Amino acid sequence: MKKLSPDRQASSLRNGRILILVSLLLIVLLFCLPLFETTTAVYTKKSPNTFVGDEKYQTVKAEVEAAVADYREFGDVELGESVTLRDKSDGTQSSMVTFTASTRSHLNGWKLVLSGLPSGTVLSLLFIFAVLAAGLSFIPRKGAQACAVAFGILALILVPAFSMTFTRFFTRTIGTVLSGARQADITGELALADKLLYGGQGGDRISALLSGMSFSSTPWLWLLLIPAFGLICGTVMVQNIELSSALSRGFLYAFVIALCVLILYPYYVMFITAVRTPAETNDMHFLHMLPVNWMWGNFGDIVRRNVLTYLGNSLLLSIGATVISLLCGIPAAYAMARMKFRGRRAFLGFVIMSQMFSPVVLLVGISRLMIGLKLNDSVLGLMLINAAFNQAFAIWLLRGTFVSISSEMEQAACIDGCSVVGALIRVLLPMAAPGIVTTLIFVFINSWNEYTISTVLISTPARKPITVGITQFSSFNMIEWHYLFASALLATIPVVILFMFIEKHLVSGLTSGGVKG
Amino acid sequence: MNEILVRKKWVPYLWLLPSIILMSVFVVFPIMIVFKLAFSEISRAGVVGGFIGFDNFVAAFNDKAFGTVMLNTLVWVVSVVGLSTLFGFIVAMALNTEFFGRKVARSIVVFPWATSLVIQASVWNYIIKYEYGNLNNVLLNLGILKNAVNWRLTYQIEFAWECGVGIFVTIPFVTFCVLSGLQSIDAAYYEAATVDGAGFWKKLRHITLPLVRPSLTVSTVLNIIYVFNSFPIVYTITKGAPANKTDTMVTLLYMRAFYDQQKGPATAMSVIGFVILCIAAGAYMMLSMRKEDEL
Repeated sequence: MKKLSPDRQASSLRNGRILILVSLLLIVLLFCLPLFETTTAVYTKKSPNTFVGDEKYQTVKAEVEAAVADYREFGDVELGESVTLRDKSDGTQSSMVTFTASTRSHLNGWKLVLSGLPSGTVLSLLFIFAVLAAGLSFIPRKGAQACAVAFGILALILVPAFSMTFTRFFTRTIGTVLSGARQADITGELALADKLLYGGQGGDRISALLSGMSFSSTPWLWLLLIPAFGLICGTVMVQNIELSSALSRGFLYAFVIALCVLILYPYYVMFITAVRTPAETNDMHFLHMLPVNWMWGNFGDIVRRNVLTYLGNSLLLSIGATVISLLCGIPAAYAMARMKFRGRRAFLGFVIMSQMFSPVVLLVGISRLMIGLKLNDSVLGLMLINAAFNQAFAIWLLRGTFVSISSEMEQAACIDGCSVVGALIRVLLPMAAPGIVTTLIFVFINSWNEYTISTVLISTPARKPITVGITQFSSFNMIEWHYLFASALLATIPVVILFMFIEKHLVSGLTSGGVKG
Repeated sequence: MNEILVRKKWVPYLWLLPSIILMSVFVVFPIMIVFKLAFSEISRAGVVGGFIGFDNFVAAFNDKAFGTVMLNTLVWVVSVVGLSTLFGFIVAMALNTEFFGRKVARSIVVFPWATSLVIQASVWNYIIKYEYGNLNNVLLNLGILKNAVNWRLTYQIEFAWECGVGIFVTIPFVTFCVLSGLQSIDAAYYEAATVDGAGFWKKLRHITLPLVRPSLTVSTVLNIIYVFNSFPIVYTITKGAPANKTDTMVTLLYMRAFYDQQKGPATAMSVIGFVILCIAAGAYMMLSMRKEDEL
């Protein structure tokens, strides 16, 4: 991040401090305004065969007013009425009047802070962070000022967090119990809600009242984002750092964090579902982000359902495919990198072309061929197919590695009486080890993850690789998600870890071999 | 200069032999079988009869799902390749800047690439379930939603989800291709541009894009082929239901060949797919070979 020139430092410091104080003041002010509004329908009465203004209308209206007088303690009661007209078959009209009464309450920030609700705690934290950010930025120390920025960011994040906790409290914690979707003891929560919304007057009626309650956030709540953002800008400015570069940094981090969260999300789902009970995985109203009962026993169950056999098949298949692929690929790549011969370009073209032929389009041909060779329904057949279809990539990566290594050492070895094969094994291969390991792992992972060919070729359960084996948990009408994901997790973890090792080499491998030709 | 001397002319071919045998038997031979079958009569039991000309192709074109499926395939390839290239490029740009935790972020971005497609697809299939899916659960928990949303209301939406999962799993490949291109750009270009007063967009347009174009071209062509052939996502999430409305060409081919026992039309579709791939592959080969000549 760029520092400012000395002559602009003083003004940046002053502007930053003004911005911080104004933002803090704005937060205090916004806390005084209603952040949420709630409307509770306290009374509804339908009066059939009533026309507006007639005798029945007057009596029912008086009744309604008497009935809702009781609710005046909660605050203002708003009366509403709606008329439904319908044509009857004999040509006359019928009319029905619906009377409703509702109370409204405005929840400002300070009221919520004192309410004892979880969202109140979040709101007080927001305020404390804002004050901390402002206070720390006045201490002329690097560490304190950096902390000030961090607290500013936290305050900004707490604005949507506040809205979420508020919503969650009424719709999930209370709402699901009232609607009967979940059983739990919520007396404490009901009392808190009563105190906040109806001044503690709700009493026994509280459940009915909350069932008829609706709420919405006001624009003031979202306006809180502006002073929170101002606070961050101010805390950056007092450090004499150029604001634009600091903000672009901030956006970069926000982007990367959001990306990582998105990418890790399916793995989180896989993990928590793998250790849940079947009842939990299929429960629509299931409330918790983490399992209630951690069912580590699921892993034991899947082992009893042959998952280890599948993993073993996958391991065998992948190792076999990798070995065959490298045994055929290394000599070819070596010839391509070191020897001059007619048809070299043609072979190169063939290698590139064959990279394009996915086995999926050729499924029918492959299954016929394997039946003809008596290799269908065998792990050996899968090995050969995987090795063949990964051959192009292997040659490509290996050739790139070999080309990037000078042949002087091999030539010296040849002069010393080593054969070409000896030079390859003793001199070149050790030097090309990173590239070979990359190729090896890449082919291994591709074979490990292969699914389509295996589904078609393998019919005996005991010979299935893991990618096909996990489908036994999803039958036509029921999917055992917990077992499915427990085995998927076992199949995923080893290859993801392997892939992390080659990630760096793969980029250079793609550059030298595949991509750059 | 980097070559070793070989005395006998046939020696290089000996070195290539194992690879050639492997690929001939398991790649070239199935291609020939598919071509032969496409022009032969095949009974429902799979017995191959004589030459029948283009009858299988006519049957494939007359398949009532064929039109929809070709359109789906087009939407699938264009949207997945296009959007994953765009997003992958943005991610690569972000990961190419120095920041705290870059190594960790790079390792995480690799995850979808290293995971089997069938597993990724199963997880997303669970996530977007209406009744008990995890997306609804998480959003309800966070208070973002008040009521559960049916994320797969119509088959069009389901197909859009499939494209979304396709994009999600394709981004890492594009990212790492672009990253390898970005890392080979000399920092001096950017320094010179900064001295000349060029902003972010100007640098992107006049330095970054021209220099990563080769990597982008290669990743795009390879992706067209991978995505065209991608089978597990559609097969796991919808299996083409309802009535082949969400099928792509390879899933339809699989269904016709191994479920409906219509091997004839299926092999004809194989040949059609194969020809499409060959065109893409030919374009790719010309691009690669041209670069080879430049070297």
